[in-house]
Amino acid sequence: MMKDGVQGATEEEQQAQSKKGLKKQQKEAEKAAKKAEKQAKQAADQQSSEEDDFAKHRYGVSAMVQSQEKLDRTLVQIQDLTPAKADQLVWLRARVHTSRAKGKQCFLVLRQQQFNVQALVAVGDRASKQMVKFAANITKESIVDVEASVRKVELKIESCSQQDVELHIERIFVISQAEPRLPLQLEDAVRPDGEGEEEGRATVNQDTKLDNRVIDLRTTTSQAIFRLQSGVCQLFRDTLTNKGFVEIQTPKIISAASEGGANVFTVSYFKTSAYLAQSPQLYKQMCICADFDKVFCVGPVFRAEDSNTHRHLTEFVGLDIEMAFNYHYHEVIESITDTMVQIFKGLRDNFQTEIQMVNKQYPSEPFKFLEPTLRLEYTEALAMLHEAGVEMGDEEDLSTPNEKLLGRLVKEKYDTDFYVLDKYPLAVRPFYTMPDPNNPKYSNSYDMFMRGEEILSGAQRVHDAQLLTERATHHQIDLEKIKAYIDSFRYGAPPHGGGGIGLERVCMLYLGLHNVRQTSMFPRDPKRLTP
Amino acid sequence: STLVPSCRISSIVGTVSTWHRGYRATINNGKVDPAVKALQARQDVIIRKLYELKAAAEGLAKIVTTPDADLDLTVGSSLALQSSSSTDLDTLLGKNHGALRDIVINANPSQPPLSLLVLHSLLCQRYRVLSTVHVHSSVSNVPPQLLSCLGAPHADSYARHLFQLGFTLIWKDVPKPQMKFSIQNMCPIEGEANVARFLYKLLAPYPSDPGAATLVDSWVDTAFFQLAKGSAKKRTAVLRALNSALGRNPWMAGPEFSLADVACYCCVLQSGSASAAAANVQRWIKSCENLGHFSPAKILTQ
Repeated sequence: MMKDGVQGATEEEQQAQSKKGLKKQQKEAEKAAKKAEKQAKQAADQQSSEEDDFAKHRYGVSAMVQSQEKLDRTLVQIQDLTPAKADQLVWLRARVHTSRAKGKQCFLVLRQQQFNVQALVAVGDRASKQMVKFAANITKESIVDVEASVRKVELKIESCSQQDVELHIERIFVISQAEPRLPLQLEDAVRPDGEGEEEGRATVNQDTKLDNRVIDLRTTTSQAIFRLQSGVCQLFRDTLTNKGFVEIQTPKIISAASEGGANVFTVSYFKTSAYLAQSPQLYKQMCICADFDKVFCVGPVFRAEDSNTHRHLTEFVGLDIEMAFNYHYHEVIESITDTMVQIFKGLRDNFQTEIQMVNKQYPSEPFKFLEPTLRLEYTEALAMLHEAGVEMGDEEDLSTPNEKLLGRLVKEKYDTDFYVLDKYPLAVRPFYTMPDPNNPKYSNSYDMFMRGEEILSGAQRVHDAQLLTERATHHQIDLEKIKAYIDSFRYGAPPHGGGGIGLERVCMLYLGLHNVRQTSMFPRDPKRLTP
Repeated sequence: STLVPSCRISSIVGTVSTWHRGYRATINNGKVDPAVKALQARQDVIIRKLYELKAAAEGLAKIVTTPDADLDLTVGSSLALQSSSSTDLDTLLGKNHGALRDIVINANPSQPPLSLLVLHSLLCQRYRVLSTVHVHSSVSNVPPQLLSCLGAPHADSYARHLFQLGFTLIWKDVPKPQMKFSIQNMCPIEGEANVARFLYKLLAPYPSDPGAATLVDSWVDTAFFQLAKGSAKKRTAVLRALNSALGRNPWMAGPEFSLADVACYCCVLQSGSASAAAANVQRWIKSCENLGHFSPAKILTQ
């Protein structure tokens, strides 16, 4: 009984369902028929319109460029579109940044890197209704070739970088089409934090940006950041080359950990294993012992630190300096700080557009510095911190919060975002650091800070094999493991010192950004290995 | 650090109460209007507040300048301390925890603070001073003579802790000279006259007599506000006043060389009115130059 009842119920249900299903199917069939009808009509329309479209050779999707021909056509740069080019007919290649159709005309914004210009396709003797429709349907971020006449405008176009001219399009061909659905909108990715929140405008979170880095890198902010970063590298190389430094390349696969044993990536190396270099220091020092006098290198550095902070990466670009000096390691400090000052000056004088561009999205105080660079001694720093109420031991290292506080105090008194802190306690520095000749508590070592964050740690290195052995023993380091290092100094070594900075960190701090991932093109951190 | 304000307040209190007594005399002669009465009451309140402020400043000065307030019985007031010949920096500037005491001066390269450069060279005669010149990123193309205006770097300048005092001059885009010393306990001192007063205290005490101290102060203000920045007419008037003051005394504020001389000399030099000045001023300029303190200012104005 019970069973039957249940069965009966289900049968009824099934019947009801199938009735519903039938109706649904019917509806869908009707829909499909309508759609087909519509499509047929559209196709017919198109056919008929194509037939009477006088402008059909003036637009379209180009065949894929497979280097079929070598056109001798001059393309202009958007940044060169000024009133001086008014009424000229020009060709250019650009991305469609935005498009907006409005009756018989379509407004496009065409973009090349950080520059953009307004363009217009309007029904007239050059463009047909169909051509306007085609332009309006080009997906955002597609790449187009455009022939257009440059026109001066009465009213400045505030939303574009080229404010005094617009383009009247006469031909438009799609070179590469973007998919209609973009993973993120460029205008959302450059929106300053908090702006447009009331209107419910979206901002893009960092992971989405990094997952779709190719698109995120197209934004004006990213363009500016990485152009400035390239400037940092260029200025670093130029300044040091002018000072007589030699650029060297050092191996990244090494047999022993250079700074202690922790924090190194192990890689399999045929039948044994090797490590990824944490620092080119040993090789820089060997070059000094090999009489290269002053060297620098620019290359990747690896740190297997599982720190998920705003300023740690597992792979970053190291800008490293090492030099022999005559009598005092301050010769090294002066060379390094002057290099930094030349970089800051170069950025201040030649990268204002980029700095302003980044500031639009991430406002920050301009980077301030002194020439020559301010050098304070560790005891002075402790006195300043003491005055501010921080109690710490003479031979204690600075904690990150104390570094930040000290940065604020130094900024307040000297109004500089860059300074050197000299004469660190020997106890908190690595074994190869040269002790202070007058006070065994201190050492000939220094840190450099930008906006209160450490960017460089350096020192006069011990260049005497015997003293180096003593210092290593004092630090309870296995002498066997560093034998090759100590042996480098057995055949006569000049007194020398150096240091290294992280390119990403320097860019981040110069621009006053808050995350080092913003200044790393394809950042590597404990949680990100792609793209 | 509170020596400057306490002295300034004494002179303000002095001036205001003198004026107030005079005002009271005139109203006693006529009939008393209730509005005047109310005004008088308000003035009484203001003067009382000023006296309280003076007392508070002196109290603070005592705490700051006395190494151990409980044990020290000799220091009666800040003025008594000033008259003592002690120029121990611990007493004047407070304890330093074994680190360099660094005086930072921001100045605009378009208006070099001549008096401060002169005071710097005087400080160098008294103390082991670490002198450094920096250019702030807010300015560029600072002329070379401004970069070397504190003289050649000291041979020991690599070891900051070996010095008693730091003198850090930063050429910067500032509207007027500014001095920073202890950022925790002291606000920045603005204006060349005020910075000069602070620096001079490290060299010699102000006169203990409030009248004499006020005289020095008023000459310093006259120099910076009327001689250096005033109109041609004002400058002529000040030069006439200088000449008559120097007819009565060998130095600006009496028988002793003082900050008034440093200020007036530098401003005369800066305004370019030295050659046109009258006999007493000419004689005094010679005396100043014979002291040999003013070469830093002369080099920059040539």
